[in-house]
Amino acid sequence: MMQIRLNVNGSPIAVSCEPGESLRSVLRRQGLFSVRYGSDTGETGAAAVLVDGRLVSADTLLAAQAEGHRVLTVESLDPGTAKLDPVQAAFVETGALQGGYSAGAMVLATKALLDANPNPSEEEIRDALSGVLDRETGYAKAVEAVRRAAVALRGEKPEPFEPPVLSPVTLAEARRGAPPAGPSAHAPLALPRIVPAGEAPRTTVVGAPEPKLESLRLVKGNAAFADDVEMRGMLTAALLSSPHAHARIVAIDDTRALALRGVHAVLHHFNTPHIRYASGGQSWPNPYPWDQVSFDDKVRFVGDRVAAVAAETAEIAEEACRLIDVTYEVLPAVLSAEEATRPGAPVIHDEPDSVGIYDASRNLSHHIEGQTVSNEELEAAFASADHVFTETFHVPKQQHVPIEPHVVVGFLDPDERLVLRSSTQVPFHLRRMVAPLVEREVKQVRIEKPRMGGGFGSKQEMVTDDVVGLLVLATRRPVRLVLDRAAEFTSTRTRHSQTLTFRTGVNDDGRLVAQDLTVLADTGAYGTHGFTVQSLTGARGLSSYNCPAKRYRCDVAYTNRPVAGAFRGYGAPQAFFALESHLDDIASAIGMDPIELRRRNWVRTGDKLDIVPRLGERGGVEEIAEEDLPVVTSCGTEQCVAEGMRAVEWKRREDPHWKRPPDRPNIRRGIGVALAMQGSGIPFVDMAACSMKMNDDGSFNMLAGAADLGTGADTVLAQIAAEVLGVRPDDILVLSGDTDVTPFDKGAYASSTTYISGMAAKKAAEAAAVRIRARAARLLQLGDADDVTLHDRRAWAPDGRSLGLEEIALNSLHTEDQEQIMGVASHWSPDSPAPYGAQFAEVEVDVGTGEVTVTRLVMAVDCGMPINPITASSQVEGGMLQSLGYAVSEELVFDEDGRPLNAEIGPYWIFRADDTPPMEVILVETMEESGPFGAKSIGEIPIDVVAPAVRNAVKDATGAAIDTIPLTPERVWRALDSLNC
Amino acid sequence: MVRGMARIATYARPSTLDEALTLFDSERSVVIGGGTTLARRPASSELAVVDLQQVGLGGISIDGDRARAGAMATLDELARAEGLPEAVREAARRELPSTLRAVATLGGLVAAASADSELLTVLLVHEALVSVAAHRVGTEEPLEAYLASSSRARMGIVTAVTFRISGHTAVARTARSRADRPIVAAAARVGPDGHRRLALCGVAPTPVLVDSAAEVEPQGDFRGSSEYRAALARILSSRVIEEVS
Repeated sequence: MMQIRLNVNGSPIAVSCEPGESLRSVLRRQGLFSVRYGSDTGETGAAAVLVDGRLVSADTLLAAQAEGHRVLTVESLDPGTAKLDPVQAAFVETGALQGGYSAGAMVLATKALLDANPNPSEEEIRDALSGVLDRETGYAKAVEAVRRAAVALRGEKPEPFEPPVLSPVTLAEARRGAPPAGPSAHAPLALPRIVPAGEAPRTTVVGAPEPKLESLRLVKGNAAFADDVEMRGMLTAALLSSPHAHARIVAIDDTRALALRGVHAVLHHFNTPHIRYASGGQSWPNPYPWDQVSFDDKVRFVGDRVAAVAAETAEIAEEACRLIDVTYEVLPAVLSAEEATRPGAPVIHDEPDSVGIYDASRNLSHHIEGQTVSNEELEAAFASADHVFTETFHVPKQQHVPIEPHVVVGFLDPDERLVLRSSTQVPFHLRRMVAPLVEREVKQVRIEKPRMGGGFGSKQEMVTDDVVGLLVLATRRPVRLVLDRAAEFTSTRTRHSQTLTFRTGVNDDGRLVAQDLTVLADTGAYGTHGFTVQSLTGARGLSSYNCPAKRYRCDVAYTNRPVAGAFRGYGAPQAFFALESHLDDIASAIGMDPIELRRRNWVRTGDKLDIVPRLGERGGVEEIAEEDLPVVTSCGTEQCVAEGMRAVEWKRREDPHWKRPPDRPNIRRGIGVALAMQGSGIPFVDMAACSMKMNDDGSFNMLAGAADLGTGADTVLAQIAAEVLGVRPDDILVLSGDTDVTPFDKGAYASSTTYISGMAAKKAAEAAAVRIRARAARLLQLGDADDVTLHDRRAWAPDGRSLGLEEIALNSLHTEDQEQIMGVASHWSPDSPAPYGAQFAEVEVDVGTGEVTVTRLVMAVDCGMPINPITASSQVEGGMLQSLGYAVSEELVFDEDGRPLNAEIGPYWIFRADDTPPMEVILVETMEESGPFGAKSIGEIPIDVVAPAVRNAVKDATGAAIDTIPLTPERVWRALDSLNC
Repeated sequence: MVRGMARIATYARPSTLDEALTLFDSERSVVIGGGTTLARRPASSELAVVDLQQVGLGGISIDGDRARAGAMATLDELARAEGLPEAVREAARRELPSTLRAVATLGGLVAAASADSELLTVLLVHEALVSVAAHRVGTEEPLEAYLASSSRARMGIVTAVTFRISGHTAVARTARSRADRPIVAAAARVGPDGHRRLALCGVAPTPVLVDSAAEVEPQGDFRGSSEYRAALARILSSRVIEEVS
């Protein structure tokens, strides 16, 4: 240990630290929780601070290096309780905060920039933000926040920040090259463009760009996330993971590790319960296979769990892991689905006690089939087609890369119940799943979900919660486990890589007559989510377009690679890359405009989604009555396409000077399109609940089971309830995702929160409103409570008399016929109305090198009636950016022994503020009658189709039809080379 | 498999170069400028860190046709320095994101000799000389010779880099995205004497000065195969040569 003196936030402090301790670690020990862990290499910027006025990563800076310098964290900006500095206010106003995990760093980056340059250009702003990664937005709102902060600090008045409303354009007008919409042309791209629905009811709070309720805690860097807590006696956990892709654990000797001073527990296969489970956070009963145990006697991928240690410090825990002697019997590994399913391939799951594996001897976790006609009818349809096209596509293993990694803090409460403070999307599923693994009843476990810094599906998994639970019970001490970035890449979850083959029959007029989709998917070492993700691949791949004969077949194979699981889009991005590429190629082959081919087939309101009930968690039903098929109840596809064409200036595809700029002979330009749809929750399965309680001052506590993972869900639920109750959103105090306190919710997945949880919030608010109106009617001496209306925080009689909600609350709680005004409700749905979207991408391709530069993205989305257009557009921007990575850079790759080659942010590459293209979001409103105030989902659809839109743009630019993503420069170069041959 | 940061046993902040050289005289000692690459060192051995921040090796100055940057000059300072060639400033800016560029030093960059460093590639064509201090000896040698030395890590402490600021320089690069590190980059410069220099990165263990792209035999990796890197070397070289010719 060494003693150093630091100057932190203007105050001198003396601290003891290890010579190698990072400044981040020391600052967090001082309670400065705004300085957050994203990686040890400093690339995320979540731990950025100001050192002598320069923005510096506190991950890589040793605390000792900082001695003698002035260190500022965002906690130094102290404008007073519940007040904001102008920079902080700008971030709140623009909705630049999604998860907000790195909000403190963003604010400091802005301060540093504006102190040096009061009027920065956009390029300078993006450069200043380049060191702070945001996986949840497209940076557009952060750039706008910096710009508006600069304006405010210069003493100027910023323009109003309101989404522009567009006059709708027709598809025919867009085709003719309609000029860009007037008012939107000058509005910042951080603002979504709104195309209003004609039939929508008038609302006050719903539909308004309300700031996020949790903004203050985020921009001030207040303790809000799972890791932002200290407890007396807390231990730090570390995991020992497998260096082998496939090996049997013959013996473990933990003697040396246990002898190390400061080590409190070492857990592994030989001293823990052996209980099979599936780690996917899904509704009961968890889908098969149950092929995992907390610590197995076999490891199945590099990064698989071997042992866990709890110790006094992270350094001791890591040293103890090095001292665990493991004897492995190394087994031959299989590293691709094709290899795994060949006869004679090594069997990955040869254990006798796994439950529900489809065919372990062939390394198949699942086999999925669904079709709308018999095989004979399908082949007859193909035989009748004017053309039959077959193409095969390959999509990679993408990692979620949430900036906040998986974090669990476990402890025993005073009643010795196990409490897990976990960064989870599924607190209620997690409680049910973790209890048996720690050999406790469900009632003896509590899950608290604090603020989250992104999840994208990786936190729909129980990744480390069982380990922390076991360590807490073994040590009876609080235990913290924070996965490092390398473990986040390899030991959590990824998107399923797939090989997809589409065979499509199409007539000369462009009508689809038969579609057959065959998929081979790689689930990695365990089968979690293998069934439902791949079922969704079939449902999404075969639902966007009408076709009288459809079939889906899929094998899901185990491999000795990291585990695939839930990932935003959940099987759809894979399906749509294949489908939308395939349709573009078909259009080219039959000489038809790619949008016209789609238009002749896309589903419209009233059409049946016939493949959907034949797949998925309630699928497998052979005979389904026509009247039981789900119906498209609202669909804005055509308007989305028209708006997107206008915004992206589609007509330029026909301009040779634009496509081959004369002054840049190596460059070809192109524009691509791809269409998407998603669901809104899982019909018949997903349920959410909510309670509302009125307080003395007319405010309300909302207890919602829903898990806001940074999406803005808490704000959206509050807006829905506020609309019903006639109050402001900040009159609703939302507490969500605590299994002891809030009612049940299925969790944040399947694009379910706005549609399912939102309706639960609406119903709960309506139940409370019934009681408010009844009391108001009595106080206002009205005969019928239905005559009372609620708005402007008052209850109104038809004659104009009114009572404040505070008066009603005080009356109900203290004065007469006392009652707690409250409402409790739950909601499930037999429907899952799809949002629809049209994605456009503009690219430049260097035909010499194969380098693809995406120069513009436009997405028009029909999410029903957006509850909050700012949070909705943030979702779209973030989804597009993640999808852009899927298109051009993101792919986990492995060596011949199954070791990852790029389990680090730089080599893997996710987009930064300084290389993100301009993105435009258009919200095409439709009225979905089954949703809360007409809303459908928006969380997943934006991640679905950037990849095929970029691929189709590359094809438009160069003629190269590429079947594999990401479109790396070499891949494109080879495609261009083969084209020239 | 156990991960984790480098294990650092001691931290020292010498105030003179002699003191730093004395502390450096150990197999486990590692000199840091900004320390941004420490986390990437393996955790298997313990390190003795020698922090140069107080030795006085900072500063950027221009004397005639040569600029001199102290080893502790940060990449951000290089990117902002008035009077430096735009190619140098831009390559310094591109080398790292804002949070790391503010502390990463030129000396650290030179010592790390990363295969895909665009700034080193540009400095090669700007006839950079590296000053290295060792016990009782100070040497100055061309950057290309320093990079080619297999024992550079133990040669001594980089104290400064000088480079020419004149001439016409062109840079071309290919990457997965605009801000990504290059798979291959090429830089060419024609000096006032009309002499042309060409350098490449992404084609050898360190950036290299070449007469022609045909000289290189790159190793492949997941971002680019050997064949592709060789092709990029040819294409990008011809582009930058054409631009400066």
